Amino acid sequence: MSVSTAEPGAPEQPPAPTRPPLLHRLVRDPVVISGSVAVLLWGVAALVSPSFADWNQLVTLMTVASFLGVISIGQTLVIIAGGEGIDLSVGATATLSAIVASRFMDGTNDGFLGAVLLALGACCVVGVVNAVGVLAFRVPPLVMTLGMIAVVTGFIRLYTGGRPEGSAAPLLRTLVAGDTVAGIPGVLWLWLGLSVLVVWLLRRSPFGWRLYAVGANRTTAYLSGVNTAAVKFSAYVLSSLFAGVGGLLLLGYSQNVYTSLGTDYMLNSVAAAVIGGTALIGGVGGYLGTVIGAILLTVLDSLLRIMQIGGGEWGDAPRQIIYGLVLVTVLTAYGRQKRLRQ
Amino acid sequence: MDTPPFLRMSGVRKRYGGVTALAGADFGAEAGSVHAVLGPNGSGKSTLLKVLTGVVRPDAGEVLLEDRRLRPRGPRDTLAAGVSAVYQELSLIEDFSVLDNLVLGVEPTRFGLRDRRAARERALPWLERFAPAFGGRVPAEERVGDLDPGERQVAEICKALVRDPRVLVLDEATASLRRAQVRVLFDVVAELRERGVLILFITHRLAEIRAVCDFATIMRNGRDVTTVAVDETAEGELVELMSGGPAPAAAHPGGAAAGAAETPGSGAAVEAAAPGAAASARSALDGADRADQAHETAPLLEVEELTGDRLDHVSLQVRPGEVLGLGGLQGQGQSELLATLFGARRRLGGSVRLFGRAIRPRSPKQAVREGIAYVPGNRGLQGLALGRPILENFALPSVGRRATLGVALSKRREAAAARAVAERIGTRYGSLDDPVSTLSGGNQQKIVVGKWFPTEPAVVLMDDPAKGIDVGAKAEMFAVVAELAASGAAVVLGSSDDRELVEVCDRVLVLFEGRIVDEVAGDRLTEDTLIASAMHVTDANGAGRPVPEPGEGGPTPQAGADGDADPDGPPRDPGATGRSAGADDSNAARGAESPAGRAEPGPARRAQASTDNGGAA
Repeated sequence: MSVSTAEPGAPEQPPAPTRPPLLHRLVRDPVVISGSVAVLLWGVAALVSPSFADWNQLVTLMTVASFLGVISIGQTLVIIAGGEGIDLSVGATATLSAIVASRFMDGTNDGFLGAVLLALGACCVVGVVNAVGVLAFRVPPLVMTLGMIAVVTGFIRLYTGGRPEGSAAPLLRTLVAGDTVAGIPGVLWLWLGLSVLVVWLLRRSPFGWRLYAVGANRTTAYLSGVNTAAVKFSAYVLSSLFAGVGGLLLLGYSQNVYTSLGTDYMLNSVAAAVIGGTALIGGVGGYLGTVIGAILLTVLDSLLRIMQIGGGEWGDAPRQIIYGLVLVTVLTAYGRQKRLRQ
Repeated sequence: MDTPPFLRMSGVRKRYGGVTALAGADFGAEAGSVHAVLGPNGSGKSTLLKVLTGVVRPDAGEVLLEDRRLRPRGPRDTLAAGVSAVYQELSLIEDFSVLDNLVLGVEPTRFGLRDRRAARERALPWLERFAPAFGGRVPAEERVGDLDPGERQVAEICKALVRDPRVLVLDEATASLRRAQVRVLFDVVAELRERGVLILFITHRLAEIRAVCDFATIMRNGRDVTTVAVDETAEGELVELMSGGPAPAAAHPGGAAAGAAETPGSGAAVEAAAPGAAASARSALDGADRADQAHETAPLLEVEELTGDRLDHVSLQVRPGEVLGLGGLQGQGQSELLATLFGARRRLGGSVRLFGRAIRPRSPKQAVREGIAYVPGNRGLQGLALGRPILENFALPSVGRRATLGVALSKRREAAAARAVAERIGTRYGSLDDPVSTLSGGNQQKIVVGKWFPTEPAVVLMDDPAKGIDVGAKAEMFAVVAELAASGAAVVLGSSDDRELVEVCDRVLVLFEGRIVDEVAGDRLTEDTLIASAMHVTDANGAGRPVPEPGEGGPTPQAGADGDADPDGPPRDPGATGRSAGADDSNAARGAESPAGRAEPGPARRAQASTDNGGAA
């Protein structure tokens, strides 16, 4: 396993480093931890309510997870790119995309392509503004994207007059919710396709390698001839773009839009990425973890709902408390990851 | 020893991931002594001291201080036990004043509130003691961010001293200090020793050990090899213990003789042995021949009247295969010149021609495309993405070039490219997928150089690339540099180490305040000339005038103190032969070798050079 390339007889090198055993590494891998927790929660849910284990229930669960999963793609990229990178505007951007698309589709297939392009174009504008603010004006990403929420929400109110119009094109509805292949709705195939693409992008494209390098050490990347600004710019624009795609999928699923459609995704997208092992310091993580994180969050939410925790006079409060505690517990396990040698 | 020692560490083990840093090291030291911990990079000396200070928790082993077991859960506990450390990485908060930094964590309080007056009383004496190191001022209220690197390091030392340590750990604390600062530090160290403080000292500079240390513990491969009394041990012996090889000192008759002729046992010949290995790069290529050839070929890189921030009309030419040095005192624009050439700093005027064609890189990316490579001095902050795999660090500058259609990478192709380079530069690693942070410092630095190989650079700019790596790794790294030069690249090397410049470069330009003030080549290229050249100019400006080397009078640093009070000291004659007392090198203690010794490298050095170089010449 260990490769030594030093010439024989080299004076007193330290012993060739050996790697810890596979099992050891696995139990500390965030993807493995969060995957196990997700399966565990799903098992508990299936025990509480046997119908939870039905195929249809599973498909519904995954469909709900897919919206979060797609919106979290960009979030993952932005966080990996480092420099306190975070995009809180993904929720508002998803709403914007759904509202623009629904208005131009207006329940028919006629303007489908145009509406999709227009919606995604609007999202890209949001991404560009985010990127320019962060890169050119050096606004901290947290503040910049938080500000963008207000701007986008305000724009939506102006644009719709508070009452969004139109509805999803039948084509979009079929694409998202209709049975396409093997009884699995289109949205899941799309999510699978996007996942493969993003994982490939991160692991096997120069952009991905540069993204990690920029996130891990921006100065090093810059001095190695990487255009760090371009890499970060791409991350922010892609973040808004994928948020827009997520908004379109939400539109296809719910068919009608409302102005708080994407609000919940703001922090859940960050949680999905972080639970999946993407570190907020940047340069660490990957999209596979985010997929698992999105599924974990969705299973947890469903479990708390079927256990009928909350409701009644307390409202959502008990559910939120338990939800938060479980997240913190899972994240605590990551604190045990090996320390880097300095 | 009959009585148990003041400090005892036994059976200390520590693994980082797949790398064993400490494999059961034992260590003992007495109060009221200065104890050096020596060893090549990766030998575990830093880790050992981090275990002592509580920064690193050992996997096994125990630490006894005055027979009481120390079980630190962090630096706070060891501080309470009286162990205070100065690390290579600075731990000051830039936006705080020096005073606030000094008392950080030990702020005196009054009725639960911070008591600034008590804080001043506590910290000010140390700042005043070190005033000569701050250029005569007491920067108590200055922002740490406004201090220069050397002053910051001094502030860091003061911070450790404010805690009234019984054990003071100095981990490469002299690396960024100027001579005068080192001298003050050594004075203080001597005072502390009198007061019964144990001082643990890590350095790569043997002559510094000669100057202040009583004992030295040599480490190798995560174990302690032996502990010796410094004044009873020849330098060559120390080097031999460190490297585990035969004593190279004996192989350098020139250097050894010069040292002996001067002040026997003064440490003059100390490092003749160790960095002799670094000479390999140059000797192997037979510098003289190469320089002769170089004069006939057209220059590869031509810089004319380059100006910028801290650069004042710099003109230079480098020929293919030539290694051009940038010398002078530290911080005279060497780094700025390299960064400007690399497009990382703004150019305000002048022209740069590469292969006769004018280039104007506005970013490192454009410079890389033109065929320029840059090796920064601070590998952790500028050279590597420490948490990322070795493979990605190797690939970073060239990753786009191997991608199919510019978008698709093949892991196998990337690994093959990285492995090819690793083999050429002799890097040891467990797996290419391990984080680069698991490697030792020397191996990390080789990756910082090696990652440029696939871009086939025409010009390699190096900004003090050997800072803080041990002599063996240094020699290997400069062998890599020599290989680049041999393949026709032009190398520009900035260095704070005059010895390194003499050994590696064909020609050295001396900078002062952003200007080139001298060019040293051929027979004139000796450490003494370089020092004199840098000092001569400084003298005219009345700052940083030559001061005697701390090690000059043996272990008592005060011996040379009067030299400081002599502002009219004549400038050194650059041509003076033999050991020149005042012309101490910039690192205060590297000792000196006579020009004669330098001009005729011992046969063993040549032999070693050719093996190191693997026939690159």
